[in-house]
Amino acid sequence: MAERLRSPAGQAQLELIAGLPLLGLAALIALQLLAVGYAQSLADGAAEAGAIAAADGRDAAAAARAGLPGWAERRVEVDVDGGRVAIELQPPALLPGLGGHLGVGSEAWARPESG
Amino acid sequence: MEGAPRLLICAPTGEGRGLAAAAAAVAVAATPVDGQQSRTLLLDLRADARAPRGTVFAGAGARELEERCRASEALRGVARGRLCFAVPEPAAGLEAAEALGEALHGSLGVDLVVAVCDRAGFRTLLAAGIDHRPAVLVKATRGDDRPLIALLAAELREAGAPFKVWVPPIGAIGGRRALGGLEPGGESGRRAERLASVLVPGRAGSREPHRQPGRLRAERAQALPAILGIAILIVAVGLILAAIGGAATAKGRLQRGADLAAISAARSMRDDFSRLFVPAILPNGAPNPAHLSHTQYLDRARAVAVVAAERNDLGPELIDVDFPDSGSFAPLRVRVGIEAQIGLDGDTGAAAGAEASAVAKAEVTLAAGSGSGGAPKVASGGGYSGPLAYRQGKPMRPDVAAAFDRMAAAAQGAGVTLVINSAFRSDAEQQRLWNANPDPRWVAPPGTSLHRCGTELDLGTSSAYGWLAANASRFGFVQRYSWEAWHYGYTAGPAPCSAAGDRVAGAEADGGSGGGPGLPGFVPSRFRAPLLAAAARHDVSAALLAAQLMAESNFNPNAISPAGAQGIAQFMPATAAAYGLRDPFDPVAAIDAQGRLMGELLEQFGSVELALAAYNAGPGAVSACDCVPPYPETQAYVARILALLDGAGDLLGGPPALEVRLIA
Repeated sequence: MAERLRSPAGQAQLELIAGLPLLGLAALIALQLLAVGYAQSLADGAAEAGAIAAADGRDAAAAARAGLPGWAERRVEVDVDGGRVAIELQPPALLPGLGGHLGVGSEAWARPESG
Repeated sequence: MEGAPRLLICAPTGEGRGLAAAAAAVAVAATPVDGQQSRTLLLDLRADARAPRGTVFAGAGARELEERCRASEALRGVARGRLCFAVPEPAAGLEAAEALGEALHGSLGVDLVVAVCDRAGFRTLLAAGIDHRPAVLVKATRGDDRPLIALLAAELREAGAPFKVWVPPIGAIGGRRALGGLEPGGESGRRAERLASVLVPGRAGSREPHRQPGRLRAERAQALPAILGIAILIVAVGLILAAIGGAATAKGRLQRGADLAAISAARSMRDDFSRLFVPAILPNGAPNPAHLSHTQYLDRARAVAVVAAERNDLGPELIDVDFPDSGSFAPLRVRVGIEAQIGLDGDTGAAAGAEASAVAKAEVTLAAGSGSGGAPKVASGGGYSGPLAYRQGKPMRPDVAAAFDRMAAAAQGAGVTLVINSAFRSDAEQQRLWNANPDPRWVAPPGTSLHRCGTELDLGTSSAYGWLAANASRFGFVQRYSWEAWHYGYTAGPAPCSAAGDRVAGAEADGGSGGGPGLPGFVPSRFRAPLLAAAARHDVSAALLAAQLMAESNFNPNAISPAGAQGIAQFMPATAAAYGLRDPFDPVAAIDAQGRLMGELLEQFGSVELALAAYNAGPGAVSACDCVPPYPETQAYVARILALLDGAGDLLGGPPALEVRLIA
């Protein structure tokens, strides 16, 4: 065994094993970035849907929520003020300790029904 | 290469199969091919050794050794490839140790002597070559006595002699190549190289490293750089995706800004729409603050679009608003274009960056479901042909509705709730009632019921009869027949089914602005008489015909549309011919034909929306879906006319059901 660890092939295996966490971390960071970006685009779309509903005299908050997938239901805050619809969305945190720091927001305005 | 020659002794264990090949392979590996000539002598000192034959291809060093062997007369040498194979010259009768001494110390000038011996001669040779610090290669085969080899290894290690064992078979081809003085190749070649680098250091190392194309050199300990590379690659791909996502987000925001600006402008148009039809001048001669001109209407919509763009973080200088149907008297569509530079940080602005643009179109349109299902806003098919107001879903003359509101409020105060069971009924509806129960005591024959006048209400419930009998007269209602406790007619306004009754809404809405009897204020005076005549002849609301003329041609008797529609009522030549209209540019004849066509369409479709849609798009398209066909032009046409009718009498139940929506 000692012979094997000293051999170049053993060295490569050791480095591979030692490097796996690094690879995992890099992949997690990349996935986290994607999740945040996706949440941002969802928030943008939801805010627009809400504002358009407000312009047409429908329920803006309901329209904004309808534009989000199921997982976002408990992670979103919708604030409607006249024709202004503000969305706060918390994307899933893949890295520990990040929860609550990743929130993305989007705001849209359209002229509401009453002018 | 200078100095004393190096010595490698190769001995077998067991029967020693492949010994000579292994020795030759290591000797080849320890013989550099580049640069200076190197002279390696493979000296076979086994008892039964015989000199091989020479080969055509042999290195210069090997050839030189061959010559010198011939000259020495002690050894018989043959050049094969990189090596010179030699055996003791039988004629000289030398012992193995003497032959080795001759090879090492004679006039041959070798760099490396690889001596191959059998087991018996090994010790003697080792002793003879000990001054040359010999290295030892043992060719073993599987199943040989391992303890024996271990003992030998320990002994040699103590003596400081490099020692290696070659166990696996060298293979037929590899062996033949090695015995030809060539690299055996493959696994044996690599093994020979490794052994040579240990046994004869400084010889094999000077050679070019053995290339192994197409094979990852995993044994070279390159995992860490690879992992770092992959990690950097992942992060780089992530950053690229983030940049692409940022650009997509910025583009999406641009589109969103255009959408919201367009929808906001449409909202403004939808809110302002009815103000286009409010008289510009109040009865007292002052300008009407509620009135909007065409230009004001569009400017307000444009301003709202700009505000919306700003509130969605887009500069007002980026936005371009226009109205595709601005030529019509009441535009209902808006187009917003935005052009901006998108920076890599995802910000939008007019600064440097990639050019991006977005276009959005929005329109005001009839709300879904307000087509066939919508209640008529203008009465037809009865004794009353003015606008209808709805109370509790029942249509009636607007002044009757206003009086009912006052009466219902008073009844509510007294704890009585009034329910309307029936109000205006067209002759067709009366016919249905009559058919179901043809008894004149209970149902008036069609054409005789006062319900066709829009002034009669059948009220309930029976608990309200007492309050009604006591109080209805205060609000202008009288109980028509003593045997119908529920039937009240409105008598405070114009008489039922009178021309004055038809005019009641128009007169109120016009506010005395001079629109004339039963007609909205926008009707030019010279067309009032033909309109009223056509309305009376074909039993169609004059206000409806007037609104159509406004929408069709703006009362221009010579109008020609791009599609070829002609005259004040915009008849297509074929339709005009079908209705006996010889000259579509004759306004009086055209208005009469229009009244006849509308009367037929109203009868066919039973709804003002559908009749208007059929007038615009043709009856086929309407009856195909029993709805206002989804053509933007037709939808806008119907919406405009309904809005005009609203302006003609805003006692109708609120503005038409219009909604704003994005269309592109």
